[in-house]
Amino acid sequence: MRWRRVLVALALVTLAAAAGAALARSAGDPGRQDPARAVSAGLRCPACQGESVADSRSPIAAAMRQVVADQLAQGRDGTEVRRWFVQRYGADVLTDPPATGVRLLLWGVPVLTLLAGGYAALRTLRPGAARTGSAAPWTPDARRAWRVASVGVVALVASVAIVADRLDPPARPAPADPVAVALQLAHDLETQDRYDAAAQMYQEALRDRPDDAVRLRLAFALLRAGDGAAAQRTARDVLAREPESPDGLLVLGLAQRNSRSVEAGDTLRHFLAVAPAHPAAAEIRRLLAAGREPTGR
Amino acid sequence: MLGDLGTAGLAVGLACATLTALLWLRVALFGAAVRTARRGTAATLAAAALACGLLETALLRHDFSVRFVAENGGRDVPLYYTLTSLWSALDGSLLLWLLVLGGYAALLARRAYPPRLHAYAMVVVSVVMVFFFALSTFAANPFRAVSPVPVDGPGPNPLLQQHPAMGVHPPLLYAGYLGLVVPFAFALAAPLAGRDGPGWARLARPWALVAWAALTGGVGMGAWWSYAVLGWGGYWAWDPVENASLLPWLTATAFLHTTLVRGRAAWHGALACASFLLVLLGTFLTRSGAVASVHAFTDSPLGPMLLGFVLLAVVVSAVVTGRRAPEPARPGRPRALSRATVVLVHGVLLVTIAAVVLIGTILPLLTTPLTGTRSTVGPAYYQRTAVPLAVVVLLVMGVTPALRVRDRSAALRRLVVPAAAGLGTVALVGLLSRPGPAALTAFGAAGFVLTGLAGDLAHRLRRPGPHRRPGRLAGLVAHAGLALVAVGVAGSSAYGRDAERTLRVGETLRVGDVAVRLVGVDRTGGSGSMAVQARLALTASGRAARTITPALRYHAARDTAVTVPAIGTGPLRDTYVTLLAVSEDSGTASVRLAVNPLVGLIWAGGALTAVSGLLAAAATARPRTRPAARVDRPRPAPVAAGPGAAT
Repeated sequence: MRWRRVLVALALVTLAAAAGAALARSAGDPGRQDPARAVSAGLRCPACQGESVADSRSPIAAAMRQVVADQLAQGRDGTEVRRWFVQRYGADVLTDPPATGVRLLLWGVPVLTLLAGGYAALRTLRPGAARTGSAAPWTPDARRAWRVASVGVVALVASVAIVADRLDPPARPAPADPVAVALQLAHDLETQDRYDAAAQMYQEALRDRPDDAVRLRLAFALLRAGDGAAAQRTARDVLAREPESPDGLLVLGLAQRNSRSVEAGDTLRHFLAVAPAHPAAAEIRRLLAAGREPTGR
Repeated sequence: MLGDLGTAGLAVGLACATLTALLWLRVALFGAAVRTARRGTAATLAAAALACGLLETALLRHDFSVRFVAENGGRDVPLYYTLTSLWSALDGSLLLWLLVLGGYAALLARRAYPPRLHAYAMVVVSVVMVFFFALSTFAANPFRAVSPVPVDGPGPNPLLQQHPAMGVHPPLLYAGYLGLVVPFAFALAAPLAGRDGPGWARLARPWALVAWAALTGGVGMGAWWSYAVLGWGGYWAWDPVENASLLPWLTATAFLHTTLVRGRAAWHGALACASFLLVLLGTFLTRSGAVASVHAFTDSPLGPMLLGFVLLAVVVSAVVTGRRAPEPARPGRPRALSRATVVLVHGVLLVTIAAVVLIGTILPLLTTPLTGTRSTVGPAYYQRTAVPLAVVVLLVMGVTPALRVRDRSAALRRLVVPAAAGLGTVALVGLLSRPGPAALTAFGAAGFVLTGLAGDLAHRLRRPGPHRRPGRLAGLVAHAGLALVAVGVAGSSAYGRDAERTLRVGETLRVGDVAVRLVGVDRTGGSGSMAVQARLALTASGRAARTITPALRYHAARDTAVTVPAIGTGPLRDTYVTLLAVSEDSGTASVRLAVNPLVGLIWAGGALTAVSGLLAAAATARPRTRPAARVDRPRPAPVAAGPGAAT
């Protein structure tokens, strides 16, 4: 009988060792997922609810995926890319931000539950101790209980009726401001000289927030992307509302200059008259004085 | 006209519900006649049924003067989805909620239980009914008039017109949620019912089993619906709506297990209360727009009232069941490998998982007032917390075959073969592939559980006796089902592969040995909806090509596009093809191809688990071999055969 036990124990130990080896082999595997997807899956899409950048179909998520792919192509690793996003958009851009402050509850509550439950289970199982059992019986005075309870039931109905009368439908809080993220992304794209993509982002932002400041940024991006006609259209759109807009005049003038339009000089002089202290004013003066064709860049 | 009738019906229902609650209270406090109170319950159910019927009629007749129909009806909606649109938005689904709750109340009213326990339990159920009737009447009345009357409506949310499960999933889920009101009512009634109180858990168990079976079916079907309709290829996203259905399931499962052991009154009460309180909390979370969710189909001003009711229920439960009477001590040490111990360990683990899911779900609500920013909790958190705990629960499940054996060494001997099978599974799978530690452990645990169950079944079938009855085997079936679900979840998440690309006509996209070739793109324009479908030739492992047609449907009325995935179901894996976008000239199509192994096991296991609950419930409904302890009570009054007297 004994040798049988030994054999069984040996077999189990062997199997356990093999299983341990298998687990170690599996744990050492970084996963065959492509790194871009792994990073995107860890980023939250700001324009949608509860979807990651990897799963979302929104244009913002597409742009963010592009940024991730670009950065990985530049040789950064996933952690660095994530850190870059956190620096720009805050820790909330991660689907799984680090546990700090309120987020400590995510670990504290389950641990406390486990401890409390374990303690209660031990007390229940402890032999010989007087255990807490069923709830202590109540013996209410029937008449008083009837008065209190009946008034309570009617009060419940009344309170619902009163509260319902005063409620307005809730305003939906946006999970994050998609426009702000789109603008930030567009700005990032501009710094990488990807003006086409930046212009698309600005257009995306405009759809949610038709704002002239954004329109001007769009006009600049279009100008740099080489789409002078669209840049002119956008600038005129702004100038129609605000004829003295310095940036509008600047973009319009530069775009006209690119398309060799005769109005370019007038527009740029108008710009200088309106905003002599504009950061670009010195450059424009130089251009006008030289009479050279600016490249728009 | 229909609208006025409906509003009147709701008002009558509210009056009936209030009166019924007071009548049951008189039965409980003064021993008044049960018959009138029973009739009141039946009348309340009839009012709920009338309201549902009127709204359904308004939907079918396209009566757009009724607000709910104007917002959710549509002349182009197919008949089936017109019927199901009753529960496609909040106000209508509240009527279904009332109907199901009223049904449970009427069923409970007709049963013969110890009189005071019964009466107090009916008071609790009736008060819940009063609250929801008040909510429906004052805050979410679907019958309010619209002027001017529109000629057509937008139809229900397009996502809710994609899949026939829409007709089954919500009612099933409601049957699960609201069935849990009965154990809750008994738990609250027990301390008030004096001598009738003890032993309530045994009476509540069949109700909990039915509710649990329905809830299991509802959650499983919801996962299936999500997989087949939402088009992202997954079945569980740890989304607030999904979590809200999982929370009561976890505590109800723990309740069902603790009621197997005698003398755990404190646990029974706490778990029964927690289950229904979590149902109410889930209702608040998902019906108030409080948490952002992928598929919360409602956004309503009911949040404050629901939250108020949740808090009221928590306070009442705590006050009523909070004071504990000491029980006489029991001699003897509990054995480590005994049912009593394992059930408690398992209960603590399930409650911990529930705590994980709960805090993960409500954290966004807590961070907004505290920090000003909306913090979110993604799937990664649950994968690090809930998933390992679930694997541990699976391992605990594997110990069950050893529990019915008295002798300790014999009990351990029962576990040798399953343990070897589990470790062997881990070794074999882990050396042939690299699924990752969590999935690998889940495979091993499932092997451990399933082998143990097979051995246990063989043992039972060898010897005649009551342990061979289907009802006694229900636990085995449930465990087997859950082990299969675990294998399916682990397998599909570990071995799932996908790729997406923009294809020109004639180009091919490959994932492993599965390939799809774009044959063409068809556009069909219907009234109110346009559809684009891609015709793709699917070849898997060298077999002949089949044509599949994933589509994109655009619903003009709601300005939304819905992806309709094409799912090829195989015995061991699904091919899941989604159409993401189509170019203007129909020359190219962006396609996502995913291969999801073992997904079928999830649905099969879920179905098996749900059926096991019904098996166990059917077994408890049978007359017991031992005569139950006689309780002195007046003969139950003959049942009022009202319109709500369901049989």
